[in-house]
Amino acid sequence: MTLNQLLTLLLPEIVLTVAAFVVLGLDLIWRGDEVRGRWLPWVAFLGVLLTLVATIAVWPMAGVGGRPLALTVGQGFGGDAIPMMALDGLALFFKLFTVLVLLIVTLSAGEYVQTHTPFRGEFYALMLLAGLSIMLASAATNLVMIYLAIEFLSITSYVLTGYLRDDPRSTEAAIKYFIYGAGASAVMLYGFSLLYGATGTTDLAAIATALTAGSTTVRWLVFPATIMALAGLGFKIALVPFHQWSPDAYEGAPTPVTAFLSVGPKAAGFAVLMRLLLTALPGFQVDWVGVLAGVAIITMSLGNLVALRQTNVKRLLAYSSIAQAGYMLIGLAALAPLSESWTTGLNGLLLYLFAYLFTNLGAFAIVIAVENRTGSAQISDFAGLIRRAPFLAVAMFIFLLSLIGIPPTGGFLGKLFVFGAAIQQRMILLAVVGIINSVVSVYYYYAIIREMFFGQAGDAESIPVTPSLKLVVGVNAVMVLAIALYAEPFIRLATESVQMLAAKF
Amino acid sequence: MEFFFNLVPLIPLIPLLAFAAIVLFTHRNNRLSSNIAIGGIALSTLVSWGVVLATILAGEHVQVEGWELPIPWLPTGTTVFNTGFAVDGFTAAMLFMVPFVCTMIFIYSQGYMNLGQPNQDPRYARFFAYISLFAAGMLGLVVADNLLLLFISWEVMGLCSYLLIGFWSFRDRDNEQHIDEAQVKRARAAALKAFITTRVGDVLLFSGLALLFSYTGTLTFREIFRPDMLEHLGSISLLGMPAVTVIALLAFGGAVGKSAQFPLHVWLPDAMEGPTPVSALIHAATMVAAGVYLVARMLPLFVAGFETANAPALQWVAVIGAITAFFGATIGLAQDDIKRVLAYSTISQLGYMMMGLGLGSLVAGIFHLLTHAFFKALLFLGSGSVIHGMEHGHHAAGAHGQTSQHDDGFSANDMKTMGGLRHKMPRTFWPYMAGTLALVGIVPFAGFWSKDEILAEAFQRWQESGALGLPFWVWLAGTLGALITALYMGRQIALVFWGEPRHEAATHAHESPNSMTGPLMVLAVFALIGGLANAPFLGSPLHHFMGGVHEASEVVHSATVSFNFAVAGLSTVVALLGLLGGWAIYRNYRAGEVEPFQRWLGPIFTLLRNKYYVDELYQLVIIRPVVWLADQVFNFDNRWVVDPLVNLVGAVGRAAADISLLFDKVAVDSGLVEGTAKAFNAFGGWLRQTQTGRVQNYLLVVAVTVLMLLGLYLYL
Repeated sequence: MTLNQLLTLLLPEIVLTVAAFVVLGLDLIWRGDEVRGRWLPWVAFLGVLLTLVATIAVWPMAGVGGRPLALTVGQGFGGDAIPMMALDGLALFFKLFTVLVLLIVTLSAGEYVQTHTPFRGEFYALMLLAGLSIMLASAATNLVMIYLAIEFLSITSYVLTGYLRDDPRSTEAAIKYFIYGAGASAVMLYGFSLLYGATGTTDLAAIATALTAGSTTVRWLVFPATIMALAGLGFKIALVPFHQWSPDAYEGAPTPVTAFLSVGPKAAGFAVLMRLLLTALPGFQVDWVGVLAGVAIITMSLGNLVALRQTNVKRLLAYSSIAQAGYMLIGLAALAPLSESWTTGLNGLLLYLFAYLFTNLGAFAIVIAVENRTGSAQISDFAGLIRRAPFLAVAMFIFLLSLIGIPPTGGFLGKLFVFGAAIQQRMILLAVVGIINSVVSVYYYYAIIREMFFGQAGDAESIPVTPSLKLVVGVNAVMVLAIALYAEPFIRLATESVQMLAAKF
Repeated sequence: MEFFFNLVPLIPLIPLLAFAAIVLFTHRNNRLSSNIAIGGIALSTLVSWGVVLATILAGEHVQVEGWELPIPWLPTGTTVFNTGFAVDGFTAAMLFMVPFVCTMIFIYSQGYMNLGQPNQDPRYARFFAYISLFAAGMLGLVVADNLLLLFISWEVMGLCSYLLIGFWSFRDRDNEQHIDEAQVKRARAAALKAFITTRVGDVLLFSGLALLFSYTGTLTFREIFRPDMLEHLGSISLLGMPAVTVIALLAFGGAVGKSAQFPLHVWLPDAMEGPTPVSALIHAATMVAAGVYLVARMLPLFVAGFETANAPALQWVAVIGAITAFFGATIGLAQDDIKRVLAYSTISQLGYMMMGLGLGSLVAGIFHLLTHAFFKALLFLGSGSVIHGMEHGHHAAGAHGQTSQHDDGFSANDMKTMGGLRHKMPRTFWPYMAGTLALVGIVPFAGFWSKDEILAEAFQRWQESGALGLPFWVWLAGTLGALITALYMGRQIALVFWGEPRHEAATHAHESPNSMTGPLMVLAVFALIGGLANAPFLGSPLHHFMGGVHEASEVVHSATVSFNFAVAGLSTVVALLGLLGGWAIYRNYRAGEVEPFQRWLGPIFTLLRNKYYVDELYQLVIIRPVVWLADQVFNFDNRWVVDPLVNLVGAVGRAAADISLLFDKVAVDSGLVEGTAKAFNAFGGWLRQTQTGRVQNYLLVVAVTVLMLLGLYLYL
């Protein structure tokens, strides 16, 4: 592959990188706080839009089974060109996903960033770079690339979490997040090293080949390696028991960052986990399915039960997003490689993620709007929202329905697919626990609904909403409904995205 | 013209959007709201008529085979569940009638709800939102290409009928004179009755659909009606019958509820409690037509596996239709409420349609549905105009001080308080006469042609079979029903329009506004000439247009029945006799007298007046036991067992959450972690020295988890 081809295929990543640096540069060049504050978000937004265009441009270039991108430019290094990333359905799905996350977060962050911090340029630049790392992670097919991308994502996330450096809670959250992340990442790296030691390669597909062909004596290393990798990725996704950082970090971080953290890194974690398990370790499914199922069960249950007692909406959404990740994990656990409709679970996982993207970011946009006005995000701050901001209240109602999983919302469709996959796979226990948990979750989601519609507002003043936040909330609400009402294109997107993984079985 | 077909989804969508627009945005502006509703349905009518024209021009390949727009909607396992829209000759015929009649009713409503008057209805905008949704439901049902979309639309209509029948079930303001305490009670009861009674049918229909889907895996009409699919359905045995017959009977159950056939007819007369335009909407263009439409659309399922003459499902349709046609008409003889007479007339006429379908003749049943929609809408709107005039007359009389404002006996609906209105309300009177002549079946009004086709069909069947079988009884019931129909209509027009005014209100009644009488005249034109659509001397155009839609199923065949002078002559004579007889008997009836029928019929009249005591029977056999059972269950639930249990479960749940929180904080964070830390003393000690704060604990959890999982693995 020539350099030119390579650069063409990497176009979305390159555009995003350039956009990030342009934002950084403009932040230095532009004089006047006023101008910077107003226009930098839009520069970032434009950059992400261009990335979207680039993503769409490379979309047709991804062939069946994916196109490997080997990052050995020129012949100077000697040896074979080792594929580092792939441009396939899954990578494209997550590129699109990332672009959507960035679009929504940059739009909803505007006023919050303006009022909370003087350092605006770096905020958007870091946000875009974090997005870049998600794209890289989801496309990586090499252990080294995976590790680098995940670390890249972690470091940008730490900085963003501690971005309000005058706010002790923010700083504390960042430190906790950082230390926890460093530990988890070390464990994961150890797991990767075990895999490398057992097979002598870092390429995921080659690992699979080596494990099936190679000597049986090293096979016992695979399970420990899987567990350790799961610790690192579980930390990104915030799966129980690797979740404990998340409520603290979510609560302390600036709210737009919390919104980003609750969606972006989770998606990256799931993408890598899917690739690692399905591409490198498909032969060891018996080993990891049990672990995943167990983790899914405790993740759902603990997330929901603890969420029951929360009074802060940000913290409540943190625990709720832990539980949501648990539901999604069912899709990966309920995989049936040999049956005809083996992709149902993965379809469900991707659909769920897609619906969750709009649902959760929409809910956080509303939290941001309320917080901008009231200064905090207690459930009691939502009292009487239907009278103070009817639009927000109705949209929040839709998002909460989707989080519970009630039709006609995207969350329902996602749950339908993952639970359906579990039932198809005769993993009845998994489905039953999932459904019981959905029922339990109604209790705390309903607490917000009750406050919004029937609570007495202490302050009857209406809540003004900036046009961009209004746009974000409206578009998200429409998307949440559209995914369920006109599901076919979304399901097709999900199905096509996992096709490449099918080829590996 | 084929381009027009792409606009088909808009037909139900436009009224739906009008509904949304009114509810969300314009509900504070009454005039704008009603204009949006009227504009929406008018636009929908335009599109519909464009589609009708396109269907006519497109010729047989659309009229018979149909045009389709499938939309892949929800994947179910490995297949995709399609929903979508379809148009064929049958649909086009419905599309000609439904939106147009709705438009007339909408325009009329603007006057009826007193737009701009001091006594304008306080929920004016809401009324227009509801009727828009109602129309959207019916139009969606007509253009659906599958039973799921049909069922959804069906239920939307069910909801709207509930909301609209109960529209006057509460009063917000004191200026709503037309709503008193009794009215509130009646409206509530009527709305509930309509909803629950039709629900009985809906459950049957839904089980039919579920059964059908479980056998065929599809709900799309075209696929269900494929000959091999019908054969497959016919070969499965269920409850001693072919499955296809069971499905057809269950679907017919739905139609019995929706189209108010015996024994589920009881809700329709009570539905009069809603505003009169709603009655017209329910009785003519939408709700009750839906049941007939369903049976007609699913006709191949009724026939499959048998000859048309002896298909059991079809025979049931004919029998129920004949019973309903005859008994509905007899009840109409003994009612005093002008709208109630028309309600029983609707029930009876729906019976005729079912008779036609039950004889296997799609076109006869639907032809009558179409003509009936026009003249029954006309009659209802006309009766609304009369009531409107009477109410105003009542006010005027009160203002003149001739009667007290609240004499309790007065009801604007009571025909015995009317009289002589043909001079006071000429622009209501003439269209009303046209509607009456059409309903009774006088040449050349619309009802003559359509009713005659059904009777001729039955007559011919009787002649073919040569025995006194089902066709004979159907024909007899139809002909006798025609006589009685003419009698009660004669009685009605005599009481309303002839004689002396029997109450002050009638003396002071005056003509209704143009927005009300205008639609009457338009509809009157259709009542006059609507029969030409399928007149035999024109070569039965409707028959060629829509007769072939079920050909592909290879079980339903369309054959024209030749015009039979004996049948037509007999029914015309009967109709004339009845109409003139009724008119002559009641023309000089005076207020307070015992009416002639009551004198002659005695106890039978009482039986008719009480509608054969069906309501009382249901009250005794069904409602009271159910209410008693509900009371017991309530006690069981609330007082004795379940509620305490639920409270207990709730408490346990909260306790579990508390414990879990505690566990997360205490056990995991400190207890377990520190306990393990002691066990792994050196390791924990090292961690304690190097790090401070809670993150240490978090990380230890990671380490412990990983180690535990590894230990588990190595141990196993």
